Amino acid sequence: MKAQSKLYFYLIISAVLLAIIAVLSLNTGVYDFGEKSPFMALWQFIKGDSGLSLSDKYVIWDVRAARIIMAILVGSMLSVSGTSLQGLFKNPLATGDLIGLTSGATLLAAIAIVLGGHFKEYLPEAVQFSLVGIAAFIGSFLSMMLVYRISTSGGKTNVVMMLLTGVAITAIGFSITGFLIYISKDEQLRDLTFWNLGSLAAATWTKNIILAVVAVIAYIILLPKGKALNAMMLGEKDAQHLGINVERLKKQIIIIVALMVGSCVAFSGTIGFVGLIVPYILRLLFKSNYTFILPLSAMCGSILLLTADTFSRSIVAPSELPIGILTALMGGPIFIAILVKFKKSL
Amino acid sequence: MKKFILAASVLVAVYSCKKAEGTAKENTTEATSEAPKTNNKIVTLNGGITEIVAALGHEKEIVATDVTSTYPASLKTTAKDLGHMRSMTIEPIMAVSPTLILASDKDINPELMGKIKSSGIKTEVFKQEYTVEGTKKLIEQVAKAIGNTDYQKLNDKIDADLKQVQPIAKKPKVLFIYARGNMLMVSGKNTPMASLITLAGGENAVTDFEDFKPLTPEAVVKANPDVLFFFETGLQGAGGNEGALKMPGVSQTNAGKNKKIIAMDGGLVSGFGPRVGEAAVGLNKLLIESTK
Repeated sequence: MKAQSKLYFYLIISAVLLAIIAVLSLNTGVYDFGEKSPFMALWQFIKGDSGLSLSDKYVIWDVRAARIIMAILVGSMLSVSGTSLQGLFKNPLATGDLIGLTSGATLLAAIAIVLGGHFKEYLPEAVQFSLVGIAAFIGSFLSMMLVYRISTSGGKTNVVMMLLTGVAITAIGFSITGFLIYISKDEQLRDLTFWNLGSLAAATWTKNIILAVVAVIAYIILLPKGKALNAMMLGEKDAQHLGINVERLKKQIIIIVALMVGSCVAFSGTIGFVGLIVPYILRLLFKSNYTFILPLSAMCGSILLLTADTFSRSIVAPSELPIGILTALMGGPIFIAILVKFKKSL
Repeated sequence: MKKFILAASVLVAVYSCKKAEGTAKENTTEATSEAPKTNNKIVTLNGGITEIVAALGHEKEIVATDVTSTYPASLKTTAKDLGHMRSMTIEPIMAVSPTLILASDKDINPELMGKIKSSGIKTEVFKQEYTVEGTKKLIEQVAKAIGNTDYQKLNDKIDADLKQVQPIAKKPKVLFIYARGNMLMVSGKNTPMASLITLAGGENAVTDFEDFKPLTPEAVVKANPDVLFFFETGLQGAGGNEGALKMPGVSQTNAGKNKKIIAMDGGLVSGFGPRVGEAAVGLNKLLIESTK
C-alpha cells in the first residue's frame, strides 16, 4: 500500500510538471495576441467569448492547443510502447524504432501516401486519415510478428537476433522508401524527407481524437500489466507458475504496441528514441519495477516530447526543426550508455 | 523527489532563457511589419507570384514571402521570410495577420494547405504553367485577386521582350543541371527550365522523362548536350566551371569538350513571372555566344 501511494505521488508530481510545460508551450510561438496573453485567449475561447477574433481563436485552439495535445498523446504512447516491449523482451534496447516497428510502419504509410494519391480524393477526410493509419498499423504489426518469430525459439527471445532482425527490417524499409523517394517528384521528395524526421506541425483535433481513442484502449489493457511484466523478469516459466498467461500477455502487448506505434507514425512521422529515453531514465530511478515505470512512462513520455516540440518550434523560428532530430540527439548518448552498462549481458 | 525538483528547475531555467530570446525576436519583426500602410496584407508563397504582385505596384502590401521570393530584393527588408514552403508551418503565417494568401498549387504541401483553409484567411491557389500563355494567365489571375485591373502592361512587356529573342540557326542542346554535391539533378520535360530553353531558341537535352531526376554519368554522355546550364548559386556550389567539367560524364560531351558552361540567376530563370521575357532574352544571348 505504501508503494501504491508513492506511485500516486510521483504521478501527481509529473502531471503537475506536464501541466507547467504545457502552459509554457502554450505561451511559445511567433503569433502575437496583442494586448491579451495566450491564456486569456484560451480562456475566452473556452467561455465562448464572441470578442475573440477568428485568427486568435484559430491560433490558440487549432494550432497551439491541438499541437500540445498531440505531443502529449504521441510522446506518451511511444514511451509506453518502449517500456512494454522492454518488459516483454526483458531487454532495455527493445524499442519500436530499434526492432524495426517504426520503419515498417513508415514504409507502409509511405506506400499508402504515394499510391493512395490515385484514389484518395474520392474518399471522405476521416477515411483518408485512417487509410494511412491502417497501413502504418499493418506495417508495424507485420514487423513485430517478423521480429518475434525470427528471434524467439523455444519460448526464449534471443536479443541479438531481435536487434539484427530490426536492422534488416529497417534496411528493407529504408530501401523501399528510398525507391519511393527516387520516383517521387522534387516537392514530394522534400515532403518525404521532412516526414521521415517527424513533425507535429500537422496536428488537428480529428487526429487527436483518433490518437486519444487508441491511447485509452491501449492503456486500459496495458497499464495494469505491471505485475505481470515484473513476473516476466523471472523468466517465462516462472511467470507461468505465478499464474500468468504468458502467451496471452505477449499477444496483447504485441498487438497494442503495433497499434500505438502505427498510429503515432501515421500522424506525426518518425519520431525516434522516445521509447528508449524515458524508460531508461525511469529505470535509473525506480529499477525495473514495471508497476512503477509503466504508468510513469505514460506521463514522462508526454513531458519529454512536449518539451522537445516546444524547442523544435522555437529554436529556428519562424521555421522549425524536425523533432526527430532533437529526440535522436538525446537518444543517441542514452543508447551508448545502455550498451556500455549491459556490455556483458548482450 | 529531489531529482524531480532538480529536473523541473533546470527545465524552467532553460526555458526562460529561450523565452527571453524569443520575445526579443518578436519585437524586431513587429517593427518591420508595420511598414505597409495599405489595407491589404498579402502573403505570397511563390517567387513568380511575388514578382507579379510587386510589378503591379503592390510591393508594399506584401508582409511575408517564402524563400523563393528573391525579387525584388527590397522585399528582404520589408517582408518577413517564412522559409521554405515545405518546412513552413501555419503559426508564422498567422503571425503577420494576412488578409490574403497567394500560392501556387505546385509548391504547397497538403498538410499546410489544410491548415490554411481551416484558418479562414482568404487564399488563392493558382495553377502555374511554365509557358508564356500560362504566365500571362497567372498575371491576370493574380491581378484580379489583389483587385488590380491594370495588368495588360505586364503582358505587353513580356511580348516586347520576347521579340528580342534572336533565332539560332542550329539549335543547341542545353542540359540544365541542378547541382547538389555529386548528385546531378537535371530537368526533364515539363519543367520551367525546359520551357525557358525552348523560348530562348535552344533544345532541352533530356527528352525521355518529366520533372527533375538524378542523371547518371552514362545518361549525361548519351544526352550529349552542347551547353551546360546552371543556376549561378548552383555553379558556385559545384566549384565553378572547373568543378562542372569534372562532374562524371561531362568531359565526354560536346559541352565538356568545348567548355560551354553558362549560368543565370535562379529566381529569374525559374520564376515564370513578369520577367519571363527578360529571362528568355538573357538565356538567348548566352546561347548565341556559346554557339559561336
